[in-house]
Amino acid sequence: MDSDVPYDPSDVPTDVDASPDDCDEPAATACAYTEYEYVDAPTTEELPATGADADGVERAVWDELYDIEDPEMPVSIVDLGLLYGVTVEDGHAEVDMTLTYSGCPAREMLMSEVEERVASVDGVDDVNLRLVWNPPWGLEMVTEQGKADLNDFGLSV
Amino acid sequence: MAVKESLPAPDELSDEQQEAVEHLLYRLADDEFVIAERYTEWQVRSPTLESDLALSNIAQDELGHARLWYDLLEDFGYTESELVWERDPGEWRHSTLVEQPFAEGDWADAIVRSYLYDQAEYIRLEALEESSYPRIRDRVPKIVQEEDYHREHAENWMSRLAEEKQGLERLQEAFDRLFPYALTLFAPTDEEVEDRIDDLGLRTEPLDVMREEWLDVVVPFFQDLGVNVDDAELPEQYDVHHSEFELPEHVGRDQSHTDAWFDLQEEFTHTYRKLDRHEANRIMKDPDEA
Repeated sequence: MDSDVPYDPSDVPTDVDASPDDCDEPAATACAYTEYEYVDAPTTEELPATGADADGVERAVWDELYDIEDPEMPVSIVDLGLLYGVTVEDGHAEVDMTLTYSGCPAREMLMSEVEERVASVDGVDDVNLRLVWNPPWGLEMVTEQGKADLNDFGLSV
Repeated sequence: MAVKESLPAPDELSDEQQEAVEHLLYRLADDEFVIAERYTEWQVRSPTLESDLALSNIAQDELGHARLWYDLLEDFGYTESELVWERDPGEWRHSTLVEQPFAEGDWADAIVRSYLYDQAEYIRLEALEESSYPRIRDRVPKIVQEEDYHREHAENWMSRLAEEKQGLERLQEAFDRLFPYALTLFAPTDEEVEDRIDDLGLRTEPLDVMREEWLDVVVPFFQDLGVNVDDAELPEQYDVHHSEFELPEHVGRDQSHTDAWFDLQEEFTHTYRKLDRHEANRIMKDPDEA
């Protein structure tokens, strides 16, 4: 508000609709800010994300992701439980992904492979790959298929 | 302590808020980076193959954690080069515990240092779980998940070393040498900024309270092993209200460092300078960019 303008009590709007609006509850805080893009929260509630219900371009992205193996073990990164969410809208793909380990030496390698492979999918123009850490990855993120693959490799999980 | 309202995104912080966040992040990141740098000196020199792998792995963990914290400083526009490779060594904020050279060939030094450090790290991570800064809060569980075995490793080794007279003497020497520096883990970077860190709820325990918690854990543990702590200048009966005691001349947090640090920094930036680098090599855009 411009404080240089003196307050004029007669200068009040007369056309305000006094009927209640359709808000059920007033906002808890008057001025919320959007923090989403700065928080490592996954975009999917159910983890790991596996794309079970995906169709169209998203389906094609998931198929591509399933085809990427962990650099150290013959298991898909999806079955390993590294994917936390995938969305594609108007050719723009958002991929949320974690790593098993914060000091992962394959970080750059794996991330660039995911970016390239997702970008190669028909219908994807650009990719925003986000590394998220919360909730932290654990063995519970490994899918049944992933457990079977790791068992075949000689790892019991 | 009441839960504080979350702070806004990095680019919406006031200057004072940003300064507090930066001080906190430098404390965390620099400690992790420098202790990892020291640990790597034990590679292929540890007493057994298992201990060699364990300490190397712990070093790798701490580098991973340093990166998680430096990432958040990059939110403010700093680059990796500015933060690590080209930052004036006189501007780093790690505790002087982590920069100390190891007494030559003394495995007990590495173990005691790791014990003192990791117990402190655990306590400070607990105080960040409810941080008012979402970017910090979010990274804590991942780090905690990877810290548990660090303490287990150090405790097991200390118990083993304490079983024999010579081992116990080495523990004693390492304790006497390192303990004063370990107290600097809880020293303020700047009193006024540290108060602001607490007032903003960036951390839910102030430094002196965390220090008392840490003393309550580490002092009895050393005593049970048979290490004499009487000469350590402990705050009087661990009482927060009587906690004045002598810190070493260089505490690190306030950017004062021992000569060993300048040598170490010279060493780990040697290749970067030798190759006339001006930026850290990147094979791709940082995927973590917010």
